[in-house]
Amino acid sequence: MERIQDIESASTVAPAAAFPLKASAPHAPAQRNAFEVTTLNVWYGQKHAVQDCTLNIPERTITAIIGPSGCGKSTFLRCLNRMHELVPRARIAGTIRFFGQDLYAPQIDPAVVRRRIGMVFQKSNPFPTMSIAENVTVGLRLNGIGNRAYLRERMEQSLRMAALWDEVKDDLGKPGVSLSGGQQQRLCIARAIATQPEVLLMDEPASALDPIATMKVEELIHQLSRDYTIVIVTHNMQQASRVSDKTAFFYLGRLIEYNDTEKLFTRPREKQTEDYISGRFG
Amino acid sequence: MADTSRHILGTYDAAISALQNDLLMMASLCERNLRNSLGCLLNRDEDLCNVTIADDEEIDQLEKQVDKNGIDLLRRFQPVASDLRHVVAAMKLSGNLERIADQAVNIARKARKLNRAPLLTEVSFLEPIYREVTTMLSDVLHAYTEANIDLAIGIPARDKKLDAMNHEITEKLTVQMTKFPDRITEYLDLVFIARHLERAGDHVKNMAEDVVFAIAAEDIRHMGALRPGSAADLLGEKAVEPVPARIEEPPAA
Amino acid sequence: MISNPANHAMRKAVSRCISGITLLCACLVVAPLALVFFHLVRMGASSLNLDFFTHLPAGPGEPGGGMANAIIGTLILLGLACLIGVPTGVLGGVYLSEFGSPRVNWTVRFLCDILNGVPSIIWGIVINGLVVMHGIVICGRVIIPRGFSAYSGGLALACLMIPLVMRTTEEVLVLVPNGYREAALALGIARWKTTVHIVMKSAVRGILTGILLALARVAGETAPLLFTALGNSFWNNNLAKPIAALPLQIFQYANSAYANWHRQAWAGALVLVGFILALNVTVRFLTRGKPVRV
Repeated sequence: MERIQDIESASTVAPAAAFPLKASAPHAPAQRNAFEVTTLNVWYGQKHAVQDCTLNIPERTITAIIGPSGCGKSTFLRCLNRMHELVPRARIAGTIRFFGQDLYAPQIDPAVVRRRIGMVFQKSNPFPTMSIAENVTVGLRLNGIGNRAYLRERMEQSLRMAALWDEVKDDLGKPGVSLSGGQQQRLCIARAIATQPEVLLMDEPASALDPIATMKVEELIHQLSRDYTIVIVTHNMQQASRVSDKTAFFYLGRLIEYNDTEKLFTRPREKQTEDYISGRFG
Repeated sequence: MADTSRHILGTYDAAISALQNDLLMMASLCERNLRNSLGCLLNRDEDLCNVTIADDEEIDQLEKQVDKNGIDLLRRFQPVASDLRHVVAAMKLSGNLERIADQAVNIARKARKLNRAPLLTEVSFLEPIYREVTTMLSDVLHAYTEANIDLAIGIPARDKKLDAMNHEITEKLTVQMTKFPDRITEYLDLVFIARHLERAGDHVKNMAEDVVFAIAAEDIRHMGALRPGSAADLLGEKAVEPVPARIEEPPAA
Repeated sequence: MISNPANHAMRKAVSRCISGITLLCACLVVAPLALVFFHLVRMGASSLNLDFFTHLPAGPGEPGGGMANAIIGTLILLGLACLIGVPTGVLGGVYLSEFGSPRVNWTVRFLCDILNGVPSIIWGIVINGLVVMHGIVICGRVIIPRGFSAYSGGLALACLMIPLVMRTTEEVLVLVPNGYREAALALGIARWKTTVHIVMKSAVRGILTGILLALARVAGETAPLLFTALGNSFWNNNLAKPIAALPLQIFQYANSAYANWHRQAWAGALVLVGFILALNVTVRFLTRGKPVRV
């Protein structure tokens, strides 16, 4: 299966300079870090949204980020794929390495970063002018890939991985917005994985869904973690403790604790963590 | 300090208080029953035997209540971290307390039988083991309420000593049985009472293991005796705050 | 105390009275349109025949003839206006909505609103002074020669269209939820492609509506054309030369002394109003049911 980076070099889109073609070697011996964040500081204008955050996210794990509202968890997530740059007065200091590459090096094109690091948002947003099939393949088509057979194959594969293929395979021409809320969110997940990213960032993906749809999305996350590194921001602590391998707790912009989920939820190191997850404040 | 341990949900705090109160009530009843059971043997007090047997009913009801409270807490509040450990520990402690109370009832029954027979001086053999068991029970309850992990860790070793004491008593009584065969049934009863006390000690050991888990999230079962100093290894980071002996009801809103 | 029959009856009467007055006012608003239309039909329908749509104007005092060149001329002028005005206006609206900084955008919007209020005759005079007098010469090459021309007429109409199209485009683009832009950018799609394929595609119906409404507005403008297109009694073979237009022809005929021309003016007016009506109906049809932005 051609990876998107290989196709890029043959397409009309100008390839981004100096971003490696293949990130994971087929027989990598030890588990590498997908992200190595070092003293990350983020400002939105005067507001110091994230302060001195340092952590490593191993590949092919599910990391949950929890914390009360306004603690900087969404900001942190958006820094991982340079989406915070869409906010006008956003400023960043510190480094984020993605499989060893500095994400913020001057020659790195944010668009290429975002193809390698996909994102799913809280409110599902399939494009209204496109059908289901077009929605899934939009990331490929608008990045210069026109081979219809390839697009069709990738669309089917993405929909299968998103556990949506059986439900929509006869209605691929219907508008994306005609699906139910839970299906729309899975469509957005399929859309994000169609570009074959290595990482999936999810910003409260199930918070707008009913409990059954939530469970389907959680099950999907579990299946996807075999192939993708997943970072999920959630305000639902039970979800964090069910779904993730590691959990990071943020409070007022600081990373308070980062540990294996099982340890953090049975015996947290920091009292603040204990108080937050037990519902003593927040 | 009271504020930081209060949950945002008042009903959560109330549920935990109810659970703790029931458990501690059960614990004090159980301690009393154990004391009474041997008191009635050593003092040849028939009434005390009957009281002991009757009081077991209340302890059984409390065990059901504690389990019910615990399951209710799990269902409603999905506790995590120390709350979760304490709820699970409370449910396990109640089971062990109920079995200790059952042993006390068994002792009281045999004591009642022995009291109807002439005095047996060998009854005094049981005093050391009895004192040790009651002290162990009291210590494990202190360890739970004060989050004293050192105290809890020392208990498995003391249980081993208890086993040795039981063995020694059995041997001594066996010797007496061969000397005075006409009183064999009474000596046998004493052997059984010693065994009941040893069983109670095993249950206290189980309680100690549950208490260590509640405080330090470490499972020390089936590991052999631990030195008290290894508490530091288990704790590593700072321990969570202790459970007060009696948690007050949160002030009415 | 709760129900007093006398008060109740009084309140009902007052309520009916007010409803009646508002209905009357609504009718008063609609009445002129109905009056205009029916009057036009009455006066002009009889002159509408095949000749009207296919023949050139007859000479003064002569019977027969038509307004074929004026109708075609209006369409050509509108076409030129679209060619110049639509890309500029739409892209300007895109800039205001998607790019730029708050300060710059505020200034541009402000100027745009001022331009919207400039009387159309001013545009006529300005284009006359700039283009008709001197032509447009860039680097020695003549783009538009001097003199009255279809080009200058189209340019004048475009100047009228641009602020209108710009503002309506901006308004519909701003209505596109930000979530779509974020989702597209998060897929690694370039900014300009996001704007074109995602944002503008979502708003295409609204943009089209804006263009059609602007067209409907400028289709009937006479004053700017007086100074730029001038009018023509014959076919226009060269866009650098004067061209006929319906409003101009109506103006000329109505001011004349010939009964034949008067009748033809009525017919021309009917055709013009009919054309504008058709544009508006198309707009309504396009925006039926769903809100404009989807």
